[in-house]
Amino acid sequence: MAARLSSNPSKRSSITAGLLSLILPGLGQIYARQRYRGVIVLFGAFLAVLIAFWYGVPAWYAAPAVLWLWNVWDAVGAARGKLRSAFLPLLALLVMGYGIGWQVTGIDFSALIRNLDRATSIVIPMFHPDFFSGVETTNSAWAPVEVPCGPNPPEAVNTVNGIHVAISPNCGKLNQELTVQASGLWPDTPTNIQWATPIGDILPLGKGFITDLYVTTDAQGNLDTTIHIPPSALSAAPDPTLPLEHRIYLVQSRPRPGFQLSENGGYVVQGIIQTIFLALISTTFGALGAIPISFLAARNLMGGHPLTLSIYVIVRTLLNILRSIEPLIIAIIFVVIVGLGPFAGAIAITLHTIAALGKLYSEVIEGIDPGPLEAIRAVGGNWIQMVRYAVIPQIVPPFASFTLFRWDINVRTSTIIGFVGGGGIGFYLYQWIIKGDFEAVSSSFIAIAVIVVTLDFVSARVRARLV
Amino acid sequence: MDARRFNLRRWFVTGFLLLLVAAAYGIGYRETEINPVKLITSLGKSQAILNDLLHPDLFTHQTHDTTLDIVFPVPCGSAQPTQLPDNQAHIFANVACANPGDTVSVSGTGMQPDTDVKIQWLLPNGNALFSKLARTDAHGNFTAQVQVRPINTTTGGIPSHLQALTAVPFGGLLPSQALKDVINNIIVTVFIALLATTAGTIIAAPISFLAARNIMGHSRLGTSIYVIVRSILNITRSYDSLVLATVFALWVGFGAFAGVLALTVITMASLGKLFSEAVESIDPGPLEAVSATGARPIQVVVFSVVPQIIPDFISYIIYHWDINVRISTILGFVGGGGIGFYLSQRINVLEYQKAGTAIWAIVLVVWAMDFFSAEVRKRYT
Amino acid sequence: MLQIEHLTKVYPNGTVALKDVTFTVQDGEFLVIIGLSGSGKSTLLRCINRLIEPTEGRVLWDGANITRASPAELRQLRRHVGMVFQQFNVVKRSSVMTNVLSGRLGYVNSFSSVLGLWSKSDRERALKALERVGIADKADNRADALSGGQQQRVGIARTLMQEPKLILADEPVASLDPVLSHSILRYLEQLNKEGITVLCSLHFLDLVHRYATRVIALKEGVKVFEGLPKEIDRAKFKEIYGEEAQEVRATTVEEG
Ligand SMILES: Nc1ncnc2c1ncn2[C@@H]1O[C@H](COP(=O)(O)OP(=O)(O)O)[C@@H](O)[C@H]1O
Ligand SMILES: [Mg+2]
Repeated sequence: MAARLSSNPSKRSSITAGLLSLILPGLGQIYARQRYRGVIVLFGAFLAVLIAFWYGVPAWYAAPAVLWLWNVWDAVGAARGKLRSAFLPLLALLVMGYGIGWQVTGIDFSALIRNLDRATSIVIPMFHPDFFSGVETTNSAWAPVEVPCGPNPPEAVNTVNGIHVAISPNCGKLNQELTVQASGLWPDTPTNIQWATPIGDILPLGKGFITDLYVTTDAQGNLDTTIHIPPSALSAAPDPTLPLEHRIYLVQSRPRPGFQLSENGGYVVQGIIQTIFLALISTTFGALGAIPISFLAARNLMGGHPLTLSIYVIVRTLLNILRSIEPLIIAIIFVVIVGLGPFAGAIAITLHTIAALGKLYSEVIEGIDPGPLEAIRAVGGNWIQMVRYAVIPQIVPPFASFTLFRWDINVRTSTIIGFVGGGGIGFYLYQWIIKGDFEAVSSSFIAIAVIVVTLDFVSARVRARLV
Repeated sequence: MDARRFNLRRWFVTGFLLLLVAAAYGIGYRETEINPVKLITSLGKSQAILNDLLHPDLFTHQTHDTTLDIVFPVPCGSAQPTQLPDNQAHIFANVACANPGDTVSVSGTGMQPDTDVKIQWLLPNGNALFSKLARTDAHGNFTAQVQVRPINTTTGGIPSHLQALTAVPFGGLLPSQALKDVINNIIVTVFIALLATTAGTIIAAPISFLAARNIMGHSRLGTSIYVIVRSILNITRSYDSLVLATVFALWVGFGAFAGVLALTVITMASLGKLFSEAVESIDPGPLEAVSATGARPIQVVVFSVVPQIIPDFISYIIYHWDINVRISTILGFVGGGGIGFYLSQRINVLEYQKAGTAIWAIVLVVWAMDFFSAEVRKRYT
Repeated sequence: MLQIEHLTKVYPNGTVALKDVTFTVQDGEFLVIIGLSGSGKSTLLRCINRLIEPTEGRVLWDGANITRASPAELRQLRRHVGMVFQQFNVVKRSSVMTNVLSGRLGYVNSFSSVLGLWSKSDRERALKALERVGIADKADNRADALSGGQQQRVGIARTLMQEPKLILADEPVASLDPVLSHSILRYLEQLNKEGITVLCSLHFLDLVHRYATRVIALKEGVKVFEGLPKEIDRAKFKEIYGEEAQEVRATTVEEG
């Protein structure tokens, strides 16, 4: 447990050291010429007490207490020229750290099991990605009905596509029963009967007027059924006493061989395209912005003069601050400023890219070999020739490589920038997750994986060639 | 002749590529709805927001709060107006009662000099309706014109009150509520990163051996495990932690736990890949040497593989710790807990000074953690 | 004729790298500068083409005052003064051809050179230069694909593009192994025989004996010797290199 201190045996009083450490952790060690150890002990004790105090749970004071006691023992040891093992206090701090971490992050593994039904309701639809839908052909017809009855309502008979539809009576008031008769439909096919108001609202006619009403045609393609005029048929009418023509639609549909992009599949494609271009535009503008800034942030170019040095320090600091703010945070601010949409996302990712690339670029500039610059000057080349033949060839390949690497990161970021309204697939994805439409979520997951893995692969290939 | 034809082809190809690039940027410009005009027209708004962000809400003063109150019947005769004694701080109107639409002059005397006064109506339903800000003069008096609204009408026999509120700061600075909330949340944020990095590392370390070609590539079964594990890692890695955090938040409920789970999974995938590359790049020489001594496979791993990979593993863990600290600051946007939730809430209700507190805390913590990990890296790798 | 008169260089940090150095180089000479590391050899060579501004003294070349030349005149002068570097100073990520062509920059206008447009005659000249140093087949390779000796040949081909009348070589073989050293120095010797004046700093005494027509020695920025190679005996050697110095030979391979 105790090893002899090899160098510089301290001739300090062990009692004084112990007392000092009892008063303030680390002080005894500093007194015993173990300055670095003392500072670390002081800092650790300070942090431990602070955290225990902040959370106010008495049990957590055990860790700083262990540290405190150990520190006295350690100070005595230090004064006698011995190094004590720090295993115990480290363990105490570790237990405290993970314990508090466990507490404040609300870890609750039982929730994983308790809500297993939620997980299954998430996972099972994932195996049915909503990307393609079957192709359907439809067959439809309609006939007019006047609501409420006017002086001479029109004939409630109509023929569309060889389908004859007749309604009786030809007008009515809310909730009144009507008879619908039709012929010339596809035989033995479920037929959706819908109500269309004059302004084009489609109202379902099933139970409670919230579900669709399906009636199956007979073997001859005839249909005979009764419906009720929906109570909400006049809710959008400016004057409910004015007779207006409403329509009753009969719609049949049949699957046809083949697939097409489903509605959500269309959004996925649109979102992915926007995501890729979001990454392209913000990587490009970010790189263009980073180039001039990186020269200001390169110490070898700016270190010569106090004025340029202070520019260097300011630029570096700003880059560091901007770099530590995630693009998503920048995006929610810009959503407020320029409004919802990919533009806000593009600004956010561009700004973050400028900061990240500006730092990497400036490090490249700091690392260039001055030899070739000297050679071009020696052959009589002027400044611009020196930049073209000695600087650019040295910095372009690493710049390009870093930019491609950023592009990879930006593609990933573009997939989520939409979570806060910044455009791209994330915008749809977030809505689908919140709505619980996990079939659509699944198709976006697949699309994201395909795009990200492919682009990663391509850029890794290109980068391997560049270096 | 030949050379010229070659050149022609080159020009053609170059032109075509340029066209392609131009088209890509053209589409990109449209797709991302770039609108520089909007950026300029919204400059005023952004200035105000930026100004708030640069003045984070850190401290408050303790205040003496006083409320001066009179009953003000609208319309006249609907209730009894209050009379306040003249010898202490009080407010009065130039008329005892008024009708909706009238303007009355409200004055106060005997109040704290040079202080902001908030004048408001206490409505019959108990809600406060802000009316005006005024300021007392050096003698503690103020006068202000107040509009009487229809909503001030006495209802159910309960009249509106006219109130003047002052908050006089005294004593030292106190940490504001925003600062306290931010500190609480930022601690949670750091712990999310800590737990996720730890758990991710513990899972990734064994998995990485399954994803290392030099370990698994010797048999057909091994190779297929390698391919499967690698593919899973690659696909998982392609999702941003936020995507997973949304899913986990639905599963286990909103909060830091969902964030920890999401970040753990991503850390596992990402470290698994990096670790496996470290395992793949080990020098086979020491393996041979240890095997040659007749050591068992486990001994070979302990004595020749582990010493080679430890430094790489440590530097990757530190690298990922930095990333995780950053990500954990935004997990809260989607219900993953930590400072992100607080920040997005504050921005949603337009409290930019409080948002500023959170952003500065993020900058500070990310910086401190970067510094800390740079120190550790210097020492241990 | 190159005349160096009272040349002194004091670096901004106060280091006196050259102290009142005077000598003359006749056309067609192969003058070697020797001295310990830090004795001021590089500084001296760079003061001649003013990559480093001398503090005092002047450099005259065929009567023209290099130290007084305006920036435009300086570029005119520099294009006739080739320079070969210890670290080769080729752009590693550019092609060999581009590196060689860059030796022509003093002759061509900025605009076309920035666009990378080179005349046919320049390209042919570059190929010829590469042929002369024996690496014409590497013209399209990237420079970092070449070995150290080959990179130094690229450096020499680059100076050939300048059609130089004078070559300054700053320890051209210090980064190469002994056999390669001889092959590089033989190119310089060949050029010297064709009438180009060569000023070359060297570290190894056997190379000095083999190639130099005349020798100058520097010690702490002061010229301590000027004469023929064979005049450097053991005593002189100790004086130049210090008491503890051992004569090191570049190679044991005897050249025929
Ligand atoms: N840029 C510089 N700034 C300050 N001192 C320098 C610089 N370059 C060289 N020196 C100093 O000048 C002296 C001569 O250096 P140098 O000419 O490189 O010698 P050599 O080429 O003979 O090794 C050395 O003491 C060196 O440290
Ligand atoms: Mg030198």
